[in-house]
Amino acid sequence: MICRIVLFRYTLRMLIKPKTLQFQNLTCVRDDRCLFADLSMTLPPGSLLRVAGPNGAGKTTLLRILSALHEPDSGTVQIGEVEDHLESRQEILYLGHKPQVCQDLSIMDNLMFLTEASQMKCAQAVQFVGLKGCEDSLVRELSQGQGRRCGLARLWCHEAPIWILDEPYTALDPWMVAILEDRINIHVGEGGVCVFTTHQNPTNLRFETLELARVS
Amino acid sequence: MSVEHRFLVRELKLVLARPGDFFKPMWFLILVISMVPLALSPDSKLLGEIGSAMIWVATLLALLLNADQLFRDDFVDGVLEQWLFFNRPLFWLVILKLFCHWLFYVVPLILVTPLAGMMLSVPNDVMIALLVTLLLATPALTCFSALGAALTLGTARSGILGVLVMLPLFVPVIILAAGVLTRASDGSDILPLLALLGAFSIAAATLLPLAVGVALRLNIGGSS
Repeated sequence: MICRIVLFRYTLRMLIKPKTLQFQNLTCVRDDRCLFADLSMTLPPGSLLRVAGPNGAGKTTLLRILSALHEPDSGTVQIGEVEDHLESRQEILYLGHKPQVCQDLSIMDNLMFLTEASQMKCAQAVQFVGLKGCEDSLVRELSQGQGRRCGLARLWCHEAPIWILDEPYTALDPWMVAILEDRINIHVGEGGVCVFTTHQNPTNLRFETLELARVS
Repeated sequence: MSVEHRFLVRELKLVLARPGDFFKPMWFLILVISMVPLALSPDSKLLGEIGSAMIWVATLLALLLNADQLFRDDFVDGVLEQWLFFNRPLFWLVILKLFCHWLFYVVPLILVTPLAGMMLSVPNDVMIALLVTLLLATPALTCFSALGAALTLGTARSGILGVLVMLPLFVPVIILAAGVLTRASDGSDILPLLALLGAFSIAAATLLPLAVGVALRLNIGGSS
């Protein structure tokens, strides 16, 4: 285990260009209910932010707004110097609730489609998430946790500086959680920004917390 | 690899991974056409007269079989929202997707229609006109059904709803194609109508991907 983590640290040097993520006066109203109002924050390179709150507090909505998948009712999101959030979308790696892998394709085919990385790098990423040996199995033949690992493998071969991870721990075993936390630490250490949500207790991460309350 | 390259490779692999979807429209077409002489009459003169129109309608319906699936699997799996993170405008990805769909699903179906034509003893010159109309009209039909599929993405298992929404847009294409077929069997000039059909397809293929992109964005933004 320790041996593997040491291996990650030294074989994996990503060339990311650190960017600042900031959002100003974000407000989102859904079904006449105000999820959050006037949220502002600046996340310089190297920030790790956990968005916390009970179910229905708007965590996923906030993360989707930060990923430009959802439009806020007011407010702006900016990455680096680029004013237009849509223009800078390729700086984001978004991992959502849905598996984001195609069930009818193999793990490698999925990775090769989702990232720009070379075949070698994708194969390496598959190895890092512990799926070595089933690169060519179809995702639908894997267990749920393995499918989830396949989605996570992108973290090892994508060069986006901003990571938005929605419940990344879902369906993962403790070993994979440790590997994932280590990867997040490396990313943040290299100047990346990571925003995530989880209901579990991340033991190995040092993060700031943004608490969203459920308003009724 | 560029986004386009990755996109095309994936579409090809998907076709190979889903042979059922590839052969389904062909089976449908052949089954419908083989039923016609049984239900109508085996008179080859009568069949030759109505055959081309029958094949056209059967091909249109066979096309609709896969139309609803265009974006649905990717939407359900969440791959569709990853399209937005590619460094390309959405309408360009839609154009790529529709082109692949046309090339991998529609063109093979068109290549099977001569077999159906032989079964109904359609004259050769009419068969050629039929092939040309299908090749010219199917890009427009693919774009229309894609818009229907994109609009009804948010509704669970919409099935026929998307087709129903777009049906009025199919009508001018069918009327033009039928005009070509009548003229071809009379032996009169078919070029003007073919030009109109082609214009229809070009207009659809350039304008509709924008609308499909907006519809997809709406559905992605609405789901969480």
